[in-house]
Amino acid sequence: MTDLIVAVLRSATPLIYVTMAGVIAQRAGIWHLGLEGLMIIGAAATIIGIVLTGSLLVALLVAAVFCVLASVLLWFAIERLKANPIIAGLGLTGLGIGGSTLAAQSIFGSQASISAPFGLPQLGESFGPFAALSVLVAAMPVTVVVMWFLLRRTRFGLQLAACGEHPFAARSAGVSPPRMRLVALGIGGLLAAAGGAELAAGGLQIFAQNMTAGRGFMAFAAVVFGAAHPIGSALAALFFSVVSALGIRAQLLFGNAVPPDLLLALPYLATVFGVWLSGRLRGGAAIPSAFGELRDY
Amino acid sequence: MTGTLAPAITCHDVTVKFGDFVALSDVNLSFERGLVHAVVGQNGAGKTTLARVAAGLIRPDSGRISIDGKPLALGNVRESRKAGVELVHQSFALPPSFAIAEAMEFGADRFGPAFSSRGLRKRWSAHLKSFGIAADLSARIRDLPIETQQSVEIARALVNDASILILDEPTAVLSPSGVEALFERVRGLKKNGITVILVLHKIREVLAIADTVSVLRGGRLIAAAVPAASLTPMDLADQIVGSETGVTDADDAAALVGAAPSRHAGMRAEARSAVPVLALSKVATAPDVDGPALADVTLRVHPGEIVGVAGVEGNGQKTLVRAIAGLTAARAGAIELTGLDVTGTDLGTRRRLGLSIIPFERNSEGLSLTSSLWENWSVKRLLADPLLTFIRPAALRSDSDEAMKRWDVRYRHAGQPAGSLSGGNAQKLVFSREVDDEARLVIAAQPTRGLDVGATAFVWQALRAARDRGAGVLLISSDLDELFDISDRLIVMLSGRIVADVVPPFSLAAVGAAMTGAGA
Repeated sequence: MTDLIVAVLRSATPLIYVTMAGVIAQRAGIWHLGLEGLMIIGAAATIIGIVLTGSLLVALLVAAVFCVLASVLLWFAIERLKANPIIAGLGLTGLGIGGSTLAAQSIFGSQASISAPFGLPQLGESFGPFAALSVLVAAMPVTVVVMWFLLRRTRFGLQLAACGEHPFAARSAGVSPPRMRLVALGIGGLLAAAGGAELAAGGLQIFAQNMTAGRGFMAFAAVVFGAAHPIGSALAALFFSVVSALGIRAQLLFGNAVPPDLLLALPYLATVFGVWLSGRLRGGAAIPSAFGELRDY
Repeated sequence: MTGTLAPAITCHDVTVKFGDFVALSDVNLSFERGLVHAVVGQNGAGKTTLARVAAGLIRPDSGRISIDGKPLALGNVRESRKAGVELVHQSFALPPSFAIAEAMEFGADRFGPAFSSRGLRKRWSAHLKSFGIAADLSARIRDLPIETQQSVEIARALVNDASILILDEPTAVLSPSGVEALFERVRGLKKNGITVILVLHKIREVLAIADTVSVLRGGRLIAAAVPAASLTPMDLADQIVGSETGVTDADDAAALVGAAPSRHAGMRAEARSAVPVLALSKVATAPDVDGPALADVTLRVHPGEIVGVAGVEGNGQKTLVRAIAGLTAARAGAIELTGLDVTGTDLGTRRRLGLSIIPFERNSEGLSLTSSLWENWSVKRLLADPLLTFIRPAALRSDSDEAMKRWDVRYRHAGQPAGSLSGGNAQKLVFSREVDDEARLVIAAQPTRGLDVGATAFVWQALRAARDRGAGVLLISSDLDELFDISDRLIVMLSGRIVADVVPPFSLAAVGAAMTGAGA
């Protein structure tokens, strides 16, 4: 049982960080489909940074800078070039997957994966069975609560939600939706960098091509499932991870009785189910957003 | 009066252009402190633009504004709010999912940046109570009745110490008693020393509340803060409408500016005997996002009559139209068109029986703004044909040209996008498509909203012509003057039910009472 919890925490943590990035963007009115790209940029920058500089702190800083820059680029495309946010986000995802592979290959040549000599600090012996987990796992619940407070219990959070739901209302109150969206995407960049860093350097300490494998989209699904509520969306991400961990267990238990491909597909099926369920439960009306299009009338 | 004090707000040579269109042209205007000022004019006269310039939402192309004698930084909402100017929009601007307390907080700066949920309610309960808002502070904006929503909007506008409150068309969505309550509140604000600027378009209301009247026409100032006591309704009507509109009917003219109740009346008796073009019997629907469910709606529209649907917005009018169109399923009851039972059939079937619809939202439901005029005009015909019918654009183009000419649509060529038309021309395009000889039942939902006087009169004539041709017309409107002027019969909707069915002569008091449930 403890094994299962450790496995769930390990796979859920990067997903939840990225989900928080999606939540804050969603509340500002942006359907963030660039999460996948940001996450892999964070993962690649962390590992490459560790290998090249030998300093974890510098590596994390590099990851944060790259993810924030990529987020600002997305903001620029959306606000200044008036690109459709969904298309621009998908573009960012393409940029992240392609760019991270390109960077890794041009620095290290054609390798299947890049290993770092060390990763994020671990919690240590005093945490018993959780000793091998990284500090970012421990910071995750705190981050979720902070996000909840920021979005639900501060005027900043209300203004952000107003920008997402009714930009004209925000403008009429003297709040600038473009500026708020920049802040939201910037914070999202930091969170996605944390998610990418945890994915690559939390346990394995490697970067491999396309290693996010759709987790960014799963995080987006968690945002939708959780109606962009920080805690609801984090629980949705946790749910996907539990299904994923159970799938791996089932694979070990049943062996070939069940097609392994089906078990691998479980978390994705759960995602589809989750999105469908959230639509059913809420009648599809409650998500705070200008439905992909940024209105400003 | 108090000549030593600087006026509350002064506009110097304010000009606003949107592309080629001049929305405001060299407006010079000054409002004295502590009074109620009305700004009147027809749709498109520039009233809302002026209000938004003062609120900082629009930066004028030239000109200056000063508040209490001090120059105002233009085009910046924060600066305007800091100077004490607050604007309440016509179509309210609060995020629908926000709780009342949240709606107060997000635009305020008098408390700290963070709160607990109980603390938030505590912050605002006294403020809201002073506006007589009894609703639960955690109720969501979207669930509030429209008159409460307006009260919340006004309370929101006064969260910081505003000294100038601008209300843009605040009466458009209210019932007559709601208007009375609003004016009572405005008098209260005046007593507290707040300068209130009311953007209005009904003369009756202007004369009931305003100390001064300013008139805009076509972006030009016709009268600047004239004392209301010196004006008669007829003067004001002339100033608002001008001479060049071509509205010849005196009752129409009076209805257009809300000056006097109309004396138009009268469905001819023989019409009653014919088979109704529309018959709803005991129709009920499920509730949806557009308002309450229909309950027990029984309604008949006969050939050759215009039936008006009155009611405060959001009382089931949209659902009624959707139910008749077959876009919302009837849970109970039956719907007949021209005597045939169409309950459960789709819109296509109903349209083939002669149903035509002028929808609520001209720009989203009525037209595809990015498609060309001829494409917009042709859809009705194309949808009636089988799926694989060959389309000949040239023929449709010339047919649409002919139809649009007949309806006096002003356009350059049939290939221009529908979004390039003005509101009145866009509505004429919708009419040219929907209202033809085959139309047996015309549903006109807010057909004159946003149109200027000339286009409004045109729409009224078109609806009358359809009636005289023998079609039945169901006219949904929130403008009682409009309804009284052209309806042969009126029903009143409240909470998804029909609560009154009245024939001329219409009484404002009786219909108004039915709208709020007071007349039952």
